[in-house]
Amino acid sequence: MIKSLMFWVLAIFLAPFFSALILKVKAFFGGKKGPPLLINYYTLVKLFKKGSVYSTSTTFVFKLGPMVSLSSAVTVLLFLPLAGQAPVFSFNGDLLFILYLLGLGRFFTIAAAMDTASPFEGMGAAREAYFPIICEATLFMILILFYVLTGELRLAAYFTGSQPFGLWQMAGSPMLFVVIALFIILLAENSRVPVDDPATHLELTMIHEVMVLDHSGPDFGFIELGSFCKLFFYASIIAQLIMPFESGYLALNLCLFTAGLVVVYLAVGIMESVMARYRMDRVPKFLLTSFALAFFATVITLEFIK
Amino acid sequence: MNSFTLSMVLICCGGLAALFLWRQFLLMKAVAVGFIGIGCAVGLTDALTKLLHQGSYAVSLKYLNLFSLSFQIDGLSAFFLVSIFLVSLLAAVYSFHYLNDSQKALRTAVSYLFFALLIASMALVVTAANLITFMLAWEIMSLSSFFLVIYDYESADNRKAGYLYFVFSHVGAMFILAAFGIFYGNTGSFMFADGNTMPDSAKLTILILTFIGFGSKAGVFPFHVWLPHAHPAAPSHISAVMSGVMIKTGIYGIVRLYASLGLHTPLFGEIVLVAGMISGILGVVYALGQHDIKRLLAYHSVENIGIILIGIGIGMLGVSFGNPIMAVLGFAGGLLHVLNHSIFKSLLFMGAGVVIQKTGTRTIDMLGGLLKNMKITGITFLVGSLAISGLPPFNGFVSEFFIYLGGFRGAALDRTAFVLSIMAIVSLAIIGGLALACFTKVVGVVFQGEPRRPDVTAGDEKGPAMLLPMLVLAGLCFIIGVFPRMFIYLALNAIPVSGLGYGRIPMEPFMQITANITLAATVFFVILAGVVALRLVFYKDKTIGSAGTWGCGFTQPTPKMQYTGTSYAASILEFFRPAAPLEEDHPAISGRFPIKTHYHSHVHDIAERHMVHVVVNPVLWLFDRLRWIQHGDIHLYIGYILLAIVVLLFFI
Repeated sequence: MIKSLMFWVLAIFLAPFFSALILKVKAFFGGKKGPPLLINYYTLVKLFKKGSVYSTSTTFVFKLGPMVSLSSAVTVLLFLPLAGQAPVFSFNGDLLFILYLLGLGRFFTIAAAMDTASPFEGMGAAREAYFPIICEATLFMILILFYVLTGELRLAAYFTGSQPFGLWQMAGSPMLFVVIALFIILLAENSRVPVDDPATHLELTMIHEVMVLDHSGPDFGFIELGSFCKLFFYASIIAQLIMPFESGYLALNLCLFTAGLVVVYLAVGIMESVMARYRMDRVPKFLLTSFALAFFATVITLEFIK
Repeated sequence: MNSFTLSMVLICCGGLAALFLWRQFLLMKAVAVGFIGIGCAVGLTDALTKLLHQGSYAVSLKYLNLFSLSFQIDGLSAFFLVSIFLVSLLAAVYSFHYLNDSQKALRTAVSYLFFALLIASMALVVTAANLITFMLAWEIMSLSSFFLVIYDYESADNRKAGYLYFVFSHVGAMFILAAFGIFYGNTGSFMFADGNTMPDSAKLTILILTFIGFGSKAGVFPFHVWLPHAHPAAPSHISAVMSGVMIKTGIYGIVRLYASLGLHTPLFGEIVLVAGMISGILGVVYALGQHDIKRLLAYHSVENIGIILIGIGIGMLGVSFGNPIMAVLGFAGGLLHVLNHSIFKSLLFMGAGVVIQKTGTRTIDMLGGLLKNMKITGITFLVGSLAISGLPPFNGFVSEFFIYLGGFRGAALDRTAFVLSIMAIVSLAIIGGLALACFTKVVGVVFQGEPRRPDVTAGDEKGPAMLLPMLVLAGLCFIIGVFPRMFIYLALNAIPVSGLGYGRIPMEPFMQITANITLAATVFFVILAGVVALRLVFYKDKTIGSAGTWGCGFTQPTPKMQYTGTSYAASILEFFRPAAPLEEDHPAISGRFPIKTHYHSHVHDIAERHMVHVVVNPVLWLFDRLRWIQHGDIHLYIGYILLAIVVLLFFI
């Protein structure tokens, strides 16, 4: 329990570091030196030191938004097993709670955006409400596959003990589909290219960034930290899927897990460097691809392999 | 006199007293609300006691010397009675300040009479123990709610809505009557309890016929057409009762018949499940496309009936496939969702009622920024929105959680159950996402941002009788969401009587699930409290500025530029265009000095659209051909009657 709690605290503190990897990769592809690896910590400290300016249109919901979205992202990490270590909390059906809690965070992010009366933020909010619907369908499809394979509905049951390796043994190559589908979900849920561009300066084309235009100071810091945690959550799920080995030694497990994480973050960075953002009406098709992959993985595994 | 009868008498007295006191407007309202409220409170405590102690109570009396009227309260009835009395009680209190037009005193008095009749008849529907009693109460319920729908009968739209509702409820009743005829023909008994002696084919016919009949009351797609018309027409507290509990009597009917017939074929479970998925998804898609806040909420009733049916369908499949845990999870989730939906939907309708009363419009895109002046309405509406979107830590999540768990159980079974469970789980996920989109639209456009029209602004938020029920309901949403233990216990007590043959359900595993939900919610609150504390620390001694919203460089923003509900929903509706055809009327802007243009959009309900071609026109054609029978000659009419009797004597 204490160890798991320490892992949880470590995850929150390391999440900003890994996100900086993406910036480094993008800088490398652009032939630049790029910001230092600790850039996100500097940004957070800077934001936390500042005061805030609130729009006269906003209400208390605007202030509640960052707090709820950060709390939901941080709570979700409590249920996440890291490097073969059992999570702090785990119960039958915790995955449903996790997905719906992320939904709660999304609800408040959208509500905070609508609170500002800004047409741009409304536009971002509409997209933020739309795209995750397909992502959720995909995630539930993957959940069904995992449930039928393991008979468990706990996140911990898929990533501790013999499990991630066992999943590969049982499902085999369709697990590749699952990994790709999850990667697409990661890109969409964390507003990365090709769904959204976190670096753009044209408000009309953004989703997540445009929704937080009016937040400033510590509030904005909360939002940033929340999104680092959320990205870390999805990335570590994929990391444990692509590094499904359990060595029995904590240090070796940690190394494997970190290697997996670095691979995922590098992949996100490479993706952002070599691809352009999709036109908005292409995004649902991109996301439906993930659903199709998850669906086929489930059907193939359960009909032909299991 | 036992307390159930007492509550019926009190409620009816309240309705009658209003008629005599209509000249004293305030006194009339106070007396009517007082009697109805106390009657509901008595009934509520009675139902809760019976449900907790699993007591059963039966009474029977003669009617017309031919039929006996018999009533029985078992766990299932008591569970539905709880939500009926709870919502009616709060709606009655709400009506005290909502019906505030003393010019319409007589009409208000009449509406109290029908309101009382509606509550009493709903209670009688769920306690009826034989077919005659059930049908009688069912008809009183349909008729009294019809008169409540046409409360504002001056408007042609409202009259049309009432007419549509009348037709639908009576066509539905015909299906139920036909099924009951088969029931009696096969068993020779009017008692529900004698249902399981029939051959299986008769049972299946009865189940399907009653599913259509009850479905048209409950608002199952494609029999939901009356709902989005009737709910906006009725006064808001009536909408709250109709959408919150009256349509649930349809669900009660389905479960009651299923239980009493004891036909455990997978086919009926599949029908219920598929109907639930279609209603759920299309209900919320149509809701997204609405511009009228009450129509939108009415479509959400279709969606939630869908979720309830998914739960019950999973339960039925669990029974068919011999998986008791799946069955109990499905039924418990579905039944708890009945209670949950009655709570958050009546809350939302009441909130919409306050908005409509204070601003004078139901059009979402004309409103905006109401949260600033209407704190209580805004916050309770926000709570209701979170609950209806199925988000933790509110009550909608709890029932959906149970349904999901049941669905996952089914996914581990053989092929048919696997396919259906996958579909159920994915539809629930999609419904959840769409509901979130829809309610961020309502909250975001109506309550947040800036007022879109200078002439439509929020007045003050007066009327404690309207605000109190909303606070109570919002509180319940929260309590059930965080401490579901007691409420799951109630739902589990309602299941055994449905005759699934499992005897006593072990409570322990299900109580464990509720304990997990409580734990997770607590963990979230602890962390939220931590973040709030952190925020206080960060903002200590900081300068807090205030400015206009950042317009991305644009310096002359107007409230007209805000995203509207229509634009918010546009891209999602585009995705569902085949099921929800969008009609737009928007003359293009042209020329150097363009004339004023407008934009109007309407999402067509395919059920409504095709109903005209598939049902209405053929029926009209047929009746046109049969017009010669109606000639107005009284002698021949007497002849018809004689002929009918002779023919019947010949056959029977």
